Amino acid sequence: MARIALVIGALAAILYPIPLQLQGTTYYQTVGFLVLVNAMLGLGWNVIGGWAGQFDFGPQVFFGIGAYTAALLYVKLGVDAWLGLLGGVVVAAVICAVLTYPLTRLRGHYFAISTVAIWMIVQPIGATWEYIGAAQGLFIPVKTHNTILGAALSLQFSGPTKALGYYYAALVLFAVTLALMAWVERSKLGFYFRAIRDDQEAAEGIGIDSRLYKVIARSITAAVFAAAGVLYAFWALSVFPEQVFELNWSTLPIMATVVGGIGRLWGPVLGAAILIPISQIMSTMLGTGPLAGRGIDLIVYGLIIIVIAAFRPTGLLSLPWARWFRRERAVVA
Amino acid sequence: MAALLRLESSTKSFGGLLANREVSLTIETGEIVGLIGPNGAGKTTLFNCITGYMHPDTGRIVFDGHDITHTRPERICHAGVARTWQVVRAFGRMTALENIVCGALQRTNRIAEARARARDLLQFTGMQGRGDMPAATLTLADKKRLEIARALATRPKLLLLDEAMSGLTPTETTAAVKLVRRIHEEMGVSICVVEHVMEVVMPLSHRVVVLDYGVKIADGAPDVVVRDEQVIRAYLGERRAHR
Repeated sequence: MARIALVIGALAAILYPIPLQLQGTTYYQTVGFLVLVNAMLGLGWNVIGGWAGQFDFGPQVFFGIGAYTAALLYVKLGVDAWLGLLGGVVVAAVICAVLTYPLTRLRGHYFAISTVAIWMIVQPIGATWEYIGAAQGLFIPVKTHNTILGAALSLQFSGPTKALGYYYAALVLFAVTLALMAWVERSKLGFYFRAIRDDQEAAEGIGIDSRLYKVIARSITAAVFAAAGVLYAFWALSVFPEQVFELNWSTLPIMATVVGGIGRLWGPVLGAAILIPISQIMSTMLGTGPLAGRGIDLIVYGLIIIVIAAFRPTGLLSLPWARWFRRERAVVA
Repeated sequence: MAALLRLESSTKSFGGLLANREVSLTIETGEIVGLIGPNGAGKTTLFNCITGYMHPDTGRIVFDGHDITHTRPERICHAGVARTWQVVRAFGRMTALENIVCGALQRTNRIAEARARARDLLQFTGMQGRGDMPAATLTLADKKRLEIARALATRPKLLLLDEAMSGLTPTETTAAVKLVRRIHEEMGVSICVVEHVMEVVMPLSHRVVVLDYGVKIADGAPDVVVRDEQVIRAYLGERRAHR
């Protein structure tokens, strides 16, 4: 049953943009791209925030570090986008480990505040550091490729197939992230993260180095954010501080994770698949016409989130689906 | 013979309060030692110092030949000391089996192996059939057994039980005492039990250590300790001791 659902879901994700592309539209491919990017970010945040139970409100720092690293490598040294992605992931994970280790002395709200503090420190650095373009940022020159393969290998899609190309690039990165997270959940890491979340003292008592595993958890989160940041940089063809260190890079995935089901593998995926299209539809439906510019779309969007959070604080995946479908046995995440 | 655990005049104070004052004691391999004393005598502080959650202000703690005076809890667990908690600390949102798996992963990286060991321990502690229940939904007696199973999963040489039997019904207490005996006999684990219930500690322990106001006032065979005048005074007050 679960396997069938997975296959159907994968097929739907792969086939989704094809009829749209044949119709000649690109809007819904971009919505799909945003869903996948936010689902991927949610999967990343779920590691530190869901499994390890440490509220991190500053992962967008690593989204930016990934984007900057790959853009710098490309602009200054001509390094390919995919290699740049690898570089961005490694740089972000290492910086995250160094920054996070001292923070792990803090617990609860204080840890959360300190992640925000780091984000606040990073912003002016990004805005004033000349080498990385200061407030102007970096522009990624467009390179047109004649073949699909060439475009895919350099992560540079343009023209009428741009939205389609980035949709599939996002799908690949999302799938890799999902597979990685499925592995993490079942590995020693997954057990240790959840043990620390449930009771840090007890976890230490059975030999778990809580500080080390919190650093590992947040570095995994940082790596995922960095990968998404690189993808976004090449999609936007630019990297500048206000854009990549934007707060929405953490709030949207966090909301998606909470709405879908925090601490559950598929929680962020479900949440992003519901919230991102709603926000897009709301802004097209209510953001134009006589009510345009009054933020009605955001008000409605906010209300939807409040309703879900109020009625199902443990997320939509925690609803008794198994009982409703009467096929799958109940699985406690 | 070198003792498994040796405390050398361990002192721990909180501000002006001396919780442990120059406490020296040993636990030999294969022993069951009872640690008793009135409320606030410093028993839990002593446990916290041994397991690395607190560090003595002065004095030394040696386990299995290693100085663990300033070692962190996870390293001490790795060295072979496991504990349970006075107020249960199960991983509430994980299942009973997963709780034990977390302990077993201290000695292996393979999930399948850890699961197999966890199932054995679930059986050993009499919790078969409850492996898939979230730990938060277990009864107090089961949570306490789960903590013991989780501690045993780390393959300790020394197990410290902090009031593993308080709050249990008489039937549950009998079962718990039986379990402690089996851990000692079948697994060869040395044990230190902190307990309020004298009827439990006395028959179970080979040796009893008594703390009062942070000071060790007696250390010996159970039948000798119960007749010790200082112990009676600590437990029952001045007048009884003079009779």
